[in-house]
Amino acid sequence: MSTPVWPEFVPERGRALGSDALSGPIIDEAELTAGVRVEAGQTYGFLTDTTLCIGCKACEVACKEWNALPAEEPFVMTGNSYDNTSQLSATTWRHVAFVEKLVQAGAHERASATHGSAFQSGWLMMSDVCKHCTHAGCLEACPTGALFRTEFDTVVVQADICNGCGYCVPACPFGVVALDSNDGKAHKCTLCYDRLKGGFEPACAKACPTNSIQFGPLPDLHARANERVASLRQRHGVADAYLYGVQGADGGQGTTGGIGDLQAFFVLTDQPEVYNLPSAPSLPSRRVRPGLLAGLATMAGVAIAAAVVFAAGSERP
Amino acid sequence: MTDPGGERAPYGRRTVATLGDVPAAQRPATSTYYGLPALKPSDWGWLIAVYFFIGGMAGAAQVIAQVADLAGRKADRPLVARGRYLALAGSLVSPVLLIADLHTPSRWYNMLRIVRLTSAMSIGSWTLFSFGTLSGLAATAQALADLHRAPVWRTVARIVGTPAAVAGALMATYTGVLLAATSTPLWASVPRLLPTLFGLSSTSAALGALSLLLPHGRSAQPVRRRLDLLSLLSGLAEVAVLRQVESAWRRRALAEPLDQRPVQLGFRVGVRAGTAASLVIHALQVLGGRSLGPLGPAASLMALASSFILRAVVLFAGKRSAVRPEDAFRMART
Repeated sequence: MSTPVWPEFVPERGRALGSDALSGPIIDEAELTAGVRVEAGQTYGFLTDTTLCIGCKACEVACKEWNALPAEEPFVMTGNSYDNTSQLSATTWRHVAFVEKLVQAGAHERASATHGSAFQSGWLMMSDVCKHCTHAGCLEACPTGALFRTEFDTVVVQADICNGCGYCVPACPFGVVALDSNDGKAHKCTLCYDRLKGGFEPACAKACPTNSIQFGPLPDLHARANERVASLRQRHGVADAYLYGVQGADGGQGTTGGIGDLQAFFVLTDQPEVYNLPSAPSLPSRRVRPGLLAGLATMAGVAIAAAVVFAAGSERP
Repeated sequence: MTDPGGERAPYGRRTVATLGDVPAAQRPATSTYYGLPALKPSDWGWLIAVYFFIGGMAGAAQVIAQVADLAGRKADRPLVARGRYLALAGSLVSPVLLIADLHTPSRWYNMLRIVRLTSAMSIGSWTLFSFGTLSGLAATAQALADLHRAPVWRTVARIVGTPAAVAGALMATYTGVLLAATSTPLWASVPRLLPTLFGLSSTSAALGALSLLLPHGRSAQPVRRRLDLLSLLSGLAEVAVLRQVESAWRRRALAEPLDQRPVQLGFRVGVRAGTAASLVIHALQVLGGRSLGPLGPAASLMALASSFILRAVVLFAGKRSAVRPEDAFRMART
């Protein structure tokens, strides 16, 4: 006797039913989950609103699941609040940071991170990710073309081109991309390139239960973020709320030095460094031309000195 | 707790101590995330330090050989030949070191897949490729000229030698750009000085190597004197640039990795003392107008050693500076 199967999954039945939803993926699923139709040629990104993050790490898990990323070995209990992930790596493309700012509740009570207003305590959580910079240091540094800009304006490593030279690693101004010692290639968040191609919302954004991570076209996200910051400041009394990674907004932190808009940007409530982000990074490739010119000028000087020394004197043949 | 700035903290009746509540002058210099690195360090190690040294020396040797050739003195011909052979030897060793350092060495050829002018590594790959090819041609012509005493091959070597020397000038300096065009604080803080320092260090190393490679007889003495004078000039410039680099690091409070062992030992003994000692010997030889016996080769060896140690010190100190979040934040601050 053959194994019984549910009738819905019999291929012939699926075809017979025509557009039966169970016969294949839902077309343009992102429209249902994020209200966004994913189309090539548009600029997509993440808005990560840290005031909504509850530190559940669903984004970390969803990312690992979808991208088949292994756990970090060995597992270490860091003692740094609830953060045992510590950093983004070749196999960790979302990382939830936990900051405990001690808050004094009253004169006789011990300072604690969980005091503070009902809206937000001194316990800050932030899901970090590759920023998918408008001008990406890693991409500009890559000598093989393994790092490229996709039709969604995201920055992705092609593992079948990468030869593991490792130059993108120190180039990244945010310490995101990393080499994997197992396969000898560089890896980082792809903004779920494969999912976008299939019309799906990226895994982390879809899994986020509080909408702290929002996916969409960059102009929409910018508008939404500006509204959110205004509302945080005016209605929720969070005067410190600001945008990190948006040019022209709140000092444009993170977008400095030629980097431009970060396509994955953040609503923060404390200085960037508190979340392990630089306040004014710069694009490494800006140093190429002045460096080369200085080097060539030096060697021109050496050549002139050598010419004088070799040509001068009385020992001509 | 009242806000020193006079404004109420925004979090309702309870007060939150944020960095923004503290006047700028009283704020800690940097706040970090549990002291965890804000940047990733480069994965490069000794292979790359050796490449920086050998590639730089080969490049500078090609420049010196070509200038000596164009100056046209017959007495300098042994120097020209040795410079071209040294350049070829260096350009043969270099790719081996670089490919061995790749994490996927079988795909080394992808380095020549594209030209990307924003990438110092891409520029370097093409520089090494052209330098190797041109050095091979120049050395072959030089060998034919040496073997057959045929002037035509000497002319060919001289013609090929010019583009080879231009590529050599890049070889001697681009590795400084390679480091500076990253986000590593120690390297990125001196984008112009680092290539200059590497170029001068390459020149000192090439002069030292050529001095050691010249024939030992009396005939080579005038050539050696000229190399001594060049070594003196190059060494003086190197000491001046090194001081500038170090003071730039200290001024921006990025020099801490230089004061940690074992980098500290390499920097103080290998780089500073080594450069100074070979400089003094060269100065004595130039001013005295005569050879100081075994001190001459010793000065050449010290120049070579300090050139290598300089690359190692800069490389490893930089890797340490990348994982110091306070340095990273200090660099990335308006």
